Amino acid sequence: MSSLFNDYQPASFFDEVFTANNAGRPHYKALLGSIGSLSPTDYSALQQMVDAAFLRQGVTFTVYGDNKGTERIFPFDLMPRVIPQREWETVEAGLVQRITALNLFLNDIYHDQKIIADRVVPAELVLSASHYRPEFKGVKVPHGIYIHICGTDLVRDDKGDYYVLEDNGRCPSGASYMLENRNAMKRAFPGMLHSLPVRPVDEYGEMLRNTLAHLAPASVVDPVIVVLTPGIYNSAYFEHCYLAKEMGVPIVEGRDLIVRNDRVFMRTTKGLEQVHVIYRRIDDDFLDPLVFRKDSLLGVPGIVNAYRKGNVALANSIGTGVADDKAVYALVPKMIKYYLDQDPILPNVPTHLGIEPKECDYILNNLDKLVVKAVNESGGYGMLMGPTSTKEERSEFEKRIRATPRNYIAQPVLQLSRHPVFVDDHFEGRHIDLRPYVLSGDRVSVVPGGLTRVALKKGSLVVNSSQGGGSKDTWVLWEDRLDMPAETPTAS
Amino acid sequence: MLSRVADSIYWMARYVERAENFSRLLLSTQDLMLDAGIAGVEESQFWQPILATTGDDEAYYKLYSEVTGEDVTDFLALRADNPNSILNCIRAARENARTVRDQISNDIWECLNGLRLFAESDEGHGLHRTQSAAFYERVLSRSYEFQGIADSTTPRGEIWHFLRLGTCLERADKMSRLLDTCSTLSLEMPPHPEARPLRWVALLRSCSARHSFQVYNGKPDPKKIIEFLLLDETLPRSVASCISEVHSALVALCGTGVGDQMSDPVRHAGRLHADLVYATVDEVLDVGLHEFIDDLQGRLNQIGDSIFKTFVLNIAELPDLDVTEPEDTPAIPLGAHHAEDFNNAQVQQQQQQ
Repeated sequence: MSSLFNDYQPASFFDEVFTANNAGRPHYKALLGSIGSLSPTDYSALQQMVDAAFLRQGVTFTVYGDNKGTERIFPFDLMPRVIPQREWETVEAGLVQRITALNLFLNDIYHDQKIIADRVVPAELVLSASHYRPEFKGVKVPHGIYIHICGTDLVRDDKGDYYVLEDNGRCPSGASYMLENRNAMKRAFPGMLHSLPVRPVDEYGEMLRNTLAHLAPASVVDPVIVVLTPGIYNSAYFEHCYLAKEMGVPIVEGRDLIVRNDRVFMRTTKGLEQVHVIYRRIDDDFLDPLVFRKDSLLGVPGIVNAYRKGNVALANSIGTGVADDKAVYALVPKMIKYYLDQDPILPNVPTHLGIEPKECDYILNNLDKLVVKAVNESGGYGMLMGPTSTKEERSEFEKRIRATPRNYIAQPVLQLSRHPVFVDDHFEGRHIDLRPYVLSGDRVSVVPGGLTRVALKKGSLVVNSSQGGGSKDTWVLWEDRLDMPAETPTAS
Repeated sequence: MLSRVADSIYWMARYVERAENFSRLLLSTQDLMLDAGIAGVEESQFWQPILATTGDDEAYYKLYSEVTGEDVTDFLALRADNPNSILNCIRAARENARTVRDQISNDIWECLNGLRLFAESDEGHGLHRTQSAAFYERVLSRSYEFQGIADSTTPRGEIWHFLRLGTCLERADKMSRLLDTCSTLSLEMPPHPEARPLRWVALLRSCSARHSFQVYNGKPDPKKIIEFLLLDETLPRSVASCISEVHSALVALCGTGVGDQMSDPVRHAGRLHADLVYATVDEVLDVGLHEFIDDLQGRLNQIGDSIFKTFVLNIAELPDLDVTEPEDTPAIPLGAHHAEDFNNAQVQQQQQQ
């Protein structure tokens, strides 16, 4: 039978859709049938319709280094990535376990530091993390939760096993694209979504709101929650605005807030109104010019003191970056053992720490085989892809690693799993990862699915949007629609 | 409602209205040139008053040495370094809409986002080059679309009132400036029975009021035209109508109040409204049209300033609060987005992981 997938080559990688002998995996069967039956022209037309809608609706991010404020759509590939429910259950359990340990770790590090006293993790590694905030030692935060919103990056290797690549515990972004991608799929493939038991993601706004409301001072019955954005020229402004709208709360800039008597107020047309919970998308450094960077034009003078006094809650808390430092990452399995007495459900990628002299030698001797990462960069910056690097790049990194070994880690190059992506008029395999969103409020909850990110450049292993990445919708699929959890209205 | 949101909505509406007015002005001036016939007429005498209307003549002379139709059109339409060009008005309207996306309907947002995509596109620039009238008509129809969507999707609360304030104050401002461009013209009908006062007719056209005036008076008598555009409340674009709407929006926002309790914006708008509706055109002409409009402009600014002070700068004092600003904190402008605003590098630095 003629199909759009006839010429598709899974090659030697783990392919999400096809097995090594080119047979479709069972959970993709329905999709292969209906997408496969489209002509390249029809498929392209659907893709163009979705792209045009994103541009018209302003589902865009701002391109930096361009003073015209150019906005682009985040490239979106229509063919969804499917995860069967069984597989998702393991992922979900692993994510819940991990965030629980991370929050216990942060609470410990900012109070008694028992994990250091018990010599489970080295003090010099943890306390030297650039996002560690000694100013916050001893400060009680609501319910002891530090990371309320976490975006954990997962990858699969050439055998299809899941690994945690990194924990983003400061300002993880992308949740809005997860929601908008699903909306786009509803327009493009209504029939498929109707006939398959795909778990919905649209409760994210409500989950986020509940997570935030949980942090409000106990005496407040109906807390005022806001989203604090750096402003419309931030690359993620669309997302800040989108999430505020999904939650039904105001979006504010620093200049809209004012602190009086250690309480935070927003300026309204009718005077000042007290704010109880702030979902802030501004870095620690810029949050309060009285405490951190003095030249910050984005922050709110006095907000940190208001937080210390418990008059306002911040999500995420201050200083959570110590937990997603790429060197501290290597210690997470030990944290899980120490705080929960469990083995990690989702393993780490093996990681060599520059701070350990022996491992540092290993890194320097194998630069051409490893991925080297600067510990406090994100967005795919500060990275050396060993096998594809030039000699100059390697010697540049060697210099940097020798100068500050603490700031570098290295990992073997994982052959990330691949997924068919539509290129011009046919499908080709591209590497992908998965970012689920984990919320910690009165309980830990994970939205079924997340953002599947795609390295659109042929052969590339870097999925970040700033590095030519795109995204896909992620469908967590129940085996039987009738077994779906109550979040879905049962089929009548 | 957040003060900044109120200010952004107000300016979003003002900028849409400004883009609409400039488009109509350029369109009607082109028509006037055709009616008057180019031969033997000094081009600059048509375009000079237009520049004056915008209030940006100073910026113009920094860029151009003389006044020609081509240059004025270029300056007012798509010039990126004129903060009040149609292009920049559209951008500013859209940027303000973007800052309040969560407050306005998706349809309003998509309308302004679409207008901006058009104005910045090669298609838009090409259209302006080859058939500028079609370009202006497109802006006009998008602006009408904006008014219509806003009218049918905006709940009648604060957002609506700030929208109306922006639209009507901008319209009153541009209407009075347009009238002022004719303040040096003769008020007499041309002596030849076949001749028509073309400039006055063009004025009507640039206010979309030519046909309604036809019904009002039949003959394009300049005095009647002034009366119609300035004082007649039945014409929705007249200055008196605009101020009447401004006044009711302000009353809806602040209540009426008596004596000390009355807010400044309500007081200023109410007084101006009364002065306009109870004036006769002869009284206006006794003062002098230009002088009357000069005073009117001052009072419109006064209303604008008092709106900013009351709703944006306002910090209603809570009794037990210490209101001193901590020292050494940088001063940050409050309120809406404007074309000339600095684009703060710190905004971009925030890591979104």
